Amino acid sequence: MKSGFRITVLILLTLLSPACSEQACYDDTDPLVNVILLESGTGAAKKSVSLKITGLSGASPVELVTATSVTKFSVPLNPAEETSVIVIVLNGVADTATVSYSNFLHLVSPECGYTLYNVINSLNTTHNIIDSLIIENKNITVDGERNMRLFY
Amino acid sequence: MAKGICVFSISLLLLTCIRTAAQDTVTVPLNFRAGFDIAGPVLQALNRDLVSYGAVASVDLNENFAAVGGVRYSSFSASEYSYDFKSRGLTFVVGADKNFIKPKMMAGKHYAGIGMRYGLTFYGQEAPRLEYTNPWGTGASSLPLSRHTGHFLELTPGVRTELFPGVTIGWNLYIRLLLGAGTGDHLKPIYLPGFGDGSSGVATGAAYYVSISIPYKKIRVFIKPKAVPDEEEGDDVTVPSTNTVRSGTRSGL
Repeated sequence: MKSGFRITVLILLTLLSPACSEQACYDDTDPLVNVILLESGTGAAKKSVSLKITGLSGASPVELVTATSVTKFSVPLNPAEETSVIVIVLNGVADTATVSYSNFLHLVSPECGYTLYNVINSLNTTHNIIDSLIIENKNITVDGERNMRLFY
Repeated sequence: MAKGICVFSISLLLLTCIRTAAQDTVTVPLNFRAGFDIAGPVLQALNRDLVSYGAVASVDLNENFAAVGGVRYSSFSASEYSYDFKSRGLTFVVGADKNFIKPKMMAGKHYAGIGMRYGLTFYGQEAPRLEYTNPWGTGASSLPLSRHTGHFLELTPGVRTELFPGVTIGWNLYIRLLLGAGTGDHLKPIYLPGFGDGSSGVATGAAYYVSISIPYKKIRVFIKPKAVPDEEEGDDVTVPSTNTVRSGTRSGL
């Protein structure tokens, strides 16, 4: 009888515990534009010697990525705007990409709150080192799917 | 000849009646119950963001099954670092409970079983402040008040017993499966009234009910008598001594 009572209390406390405690956010909340670097002509993955990506916002430039010897990179878009201007310095040569998109809200979880997903509407780039930048998947979410192919 | 047939028929009838009367029977009262969930106010004391008041009514259909209906009012508000959220709604559930206690033991007073419910919730949600921050900065938005209808299934094992005549207490665990929040995939409610966390497809919890119980009918339930080992087959033969309910007849109060 006593053990039954203890089990009952244990179950009730287990069920009630979420109501009493603050839960931490463990989910991924940052939608990223996932880009793969490819060699023009062959379409094979091509490592960069160096890569630096900076976002141009109203106040000051935002450093987004600094890496060496990579075949892919991920960048976030500006959640406060519907256009992001990104400077891509690849192997020391700079190009500028302008991405236009729509934002929409997505609930991640009660602990993490909401995030802003994006749908890319248009993409323009200069062609100093970049041969072409192609949209593969226009939906920018947290699922890690590839969004663009960068040929250089 | 006709007289002989008549005597034989009457004798057969009497023997049948005697045989029927010899079967074990128990009288089980069928009850109507109405009660409220006291777990809601307790949870409100622990978590002031959540207000949840539930009432439930059930009527015994027979010694095993009861039809159940309930209504719940829920109101939720939360203010976190990245959002403010409110939801409020009215939830209706209908379903049935299956009692696993044998009629002889339950005597219309005790219940240990499982219930299945279908829930329909009419609610509104709004988020006056929503913020998302990344290296670029912070994007701010809001969700105006919008009204939706959600629905879910609920599986609810539980126990109940008579505290004193006419009053029962009992608690149920519940596992709820969200069928639809009525909002699409992206703007599910942080708290779906009557269900729980709207971002998750499954919600669990417990409810603790205090109910009044009013008997409205008595039924007589036949109990299959315990099988007695046949002496002719020897003592080493064992027969399962199950006590299964076979059938029932009703009689008025």
